[in-house]
Amino acid sequence: MRSRLCLPLAAAAALTAASLALPLWGVRMTAPQYPDEPLVLHVDRHGIGGDVQEVETLQQYIGVRFPQRMPELAWLPVPVLTLTALLLAGAVAGRGPAARALRATTIGLFVLFLAAAAGLVQKRLYDVGHDRDPNAPIKAVKTFTPPLVGPTKVGNFTVWSFPHVGGVALVAALVLAGVGVRRGAP
Amino acid sequence: MKIRTILLVLLTMAGTAAGLQLLGCQSAGASSSRAWAADKVYVAPGEHDKYYGFLSGGQSGSVFVVGIPSGRLLREIPIFEPRAAVGYAVHENDPRRRELMATGGVWGDTHHPAPSETNGVYDGRYLWINDLANGRVARVRLDTFEADRIVKIPNLQGAHGIAVVSPNTKYIFVNGEFEQPTDGLTTNPAPYTSVVAFLDPESMEVKFQVRVNGNIDIADSSKDGRYAFSTVYNLEQAKDPESMFQYDRDAVAAIDIPAAEKAVAEGKARLQNGVPVIDPDEVPGILTLVPVPKNPHGINATPDGKYVVASGKLSPTVTIIDARTLKIVAEPEVGLGPLHTTFDDRGNAFTSLFLDSQVVKWNIARAIEGASDYIVDRINVHYNIGHLQAVGGETMDPKGDFLLALNKLSKDQYLPVGPDMPEAQELIDISGEKMRMLSSFPTPPEPHDAVFMPAETLKGRVRQTYDLAADAVAEGQESVVRTGPRSVHVRMTLIRSAYTPEQFQVREGDEVTLTITNVETIRDMTHGFALPDHNMNISLPPGFTKTITFTAGKPGVYWYYCTNFCSALHLEMRGRMVVQPRDTTVEITDWHAAQNVKGRQVPGVPSTGAAR
Repeated sequence: MRSRLCLPLAAAAALTAASLALPLWGVRMTAPQYPDEPLVLHVDRHGIGGDVQEVETLQQYIGVRFPQRMPELAWLPVPVLTLTALLLAGAVAGRGPAARALRATTIGLFVLFLAAAAGLVQKRLYDVGHDRDPNAPIKAVKTFTPPLVGPTKVGNFTVWSFPHVGGVALVAALVLAGVGVRRGAP
Repeated sequence: MKIRTILLVLLTMAGTAAGLQLLGCQSAGASSSRAWAADKVYVAPGEHDKYYGFLSGGQSGSVFVVGIPSGRLLREIPIFEPRAAVGYAVHENDPRRRELMATGGVWGDTHHPAPSETNGVYDGRYLWINDLANGRVARVRLDTFEADRIVKIPNLQGAHGIAVVSPNTKYIFVNGEFEQPTDGLTTNPAPYTSVVAFLDPESMEVKFQVRVNGNIDIADSSKDGRYAFSTVYNLEQAKDPESMFQYDRDAVAAIDIPAAEKAVAEGKARLQNGVPVIDPDEVPGILTLVPVPKNPHGINATPDGKYVVASGKLSPTVTIIDARTLKIVAEPEVGLGPLHTTFDDRGNAFTSLFLDSQVVKWNIARAIEGASDYIVDRINVHYNIGHLQAVGGETMDPKGDFLLALNKLSKDQYLPVGPDMPEAQELIDISGEKMRMLSSFPTPPEPHDAVFMPAETLKGRVRQTYDLAADAVAEGQESVVRTGPRSVHVRMTLIRSAYTPEQFQVREGDEVTLTITNVETIRDMTHGFALPDHNMNISLPPGFTKTITFTAGKPGVYWYYCTNFCSALHLEMRGRMVVQPRDTTVEITDWHAAQNVKGRQVPGVPSTGAAR
């Protein structure tokens, strides 16, 4: 039997691998004092980037702090590369029942991974709004929990959270993988 | 009888109605004209003006930056005078203050802003301005709006007229108004003379000077860069004022720039105080004197480059000179006390009339033809107008929309503020055939001249934060280091809302060198460093580093604090300089932020800088 490549699964593998090199999730902060120049943060495999200095400078007033360590980022290549390998294997595995089982498992693992990642991010966001320095100078800003996606109000800032290109790539990879499986790859 | 009464009543009613209507119409007309003018100059909050206006500060020694058409003061650029508010040349050891003291003093008299040109229009790089009082020229960078070079011009007193050589700013030339003995000695019996100095725009070096007899007044170049034109009065070479207007005619001096360059290259100039000075009596072909009515004042080249117009001052005429042949082509009467002339984009000239307190609009072509209707319009200004300037009037691209009258007296125009009244500027609409008064705005003393630059020319060039300089102090690298028995170097950073170090110790009389960096990166986050009783206020825009050396005063605690409102903790943004007595037994040791690890106390200096 001639082995054929399942394109959607191969593409899903490529997107999944690419997400490691891309910013995964982002925050856009706007306030009257920052006209035409919102502060932007993004999280990638290496940590938090963007207007870090400015945001840290502002955070000290309300006792908010960035997570000191994010070990999940150091571990991130493990699930991502595993999923990439599984997707690639599924793409070339042909039509047998074992191949189908492999692909179904991969999809399941992918869903689990994304759910866990979303949960972790949401936990970090909760901590940012709740685990604050009690000695912060400004007391007026109440505890807050930015949603995974969407806006929240923190003091004079409107904070928009959104999945960045890497995050979108991961979701797109899952969708593509689903398409590949439904069409009975390859 | 009855009918006549009724008729009378009816007539009276009709008359009253008509009268009311007339009155109503008149008041509607007046209010619509006010609304029209108001709408022309109104710039809504958050919107920007169409033009940058650069007004010389006169005896304030600065440049006022004003938005046009709103007339809003955007900035004062201090140049020849210290300005504590922006930390300019305040402390006696400030390098700029020392430079000012070494070149004539901490005040100046700025008259004529001259922006750099490329292809005959302002390119937004630099603006030069004279200090009449002390014979200096300053260059202002238009990306940072700060004076970057100040030079003293040798052999010259009373640096009055200043202009760039069009169309590509080959030189800046400056006129010496106050005549001097040719060899600089008071015992020299020869008549005093003056010089026109030609400066390189980049190095600000005086390349050469051309000697001119008389008092060299206002300057402009021909648009092709061939001639440097200046009005010259007191050809009498008199030293007492009443003898300075005896001759019927004085002159417009036209210096042939290529010929002067050639003379210098051929060694025909004499070195005086290190500058080659050309004497036109010895080197013919350099200087042409075009006779104009006595004691002329303004000189302005027309935007098309064909003519140069000298304003008569004591004569009610302007003299139109062909900018290539140097022949007088017309000398039309315009009014009493013509001082300066500017231009629109439709062949019209506008001349300020000091005595008439008017701006007169006249058509250049019709005046040259000798037509009787060359006067187009006149408008009254308040009062005694000096310079006037239309937008782009000194470039090859006049805009023909606004004209600013810079008046010498304001009298009753503003709320009285004591015997010294505000200086008055009036903005005039020149877009139509008739001039229309738009608005009036006051300034501190005392703008002489102005130039306008389209907002688009500058907006994209203006920097709002500095890149960290080589001597910048990096966060985490702050230190207090004793460099000698009586000297200390403090390397400090600041960012909302703290100084690092937040305290340092010195001994009375120590020479303290402070290098301080604002490590902010976002626009408008300027911090100050004020040190009580040490004549110290430093202003630090984002990214800016300043080094200054001062002597620690009497023993005590001095709180340094932020003078530029910055944040919710602005008032708390401060730190202490602790001055110990000279013979203190307190141990004062060096301190390095990098070694200030959490939980480890560095001896001598209490925990500091751990905030960030």
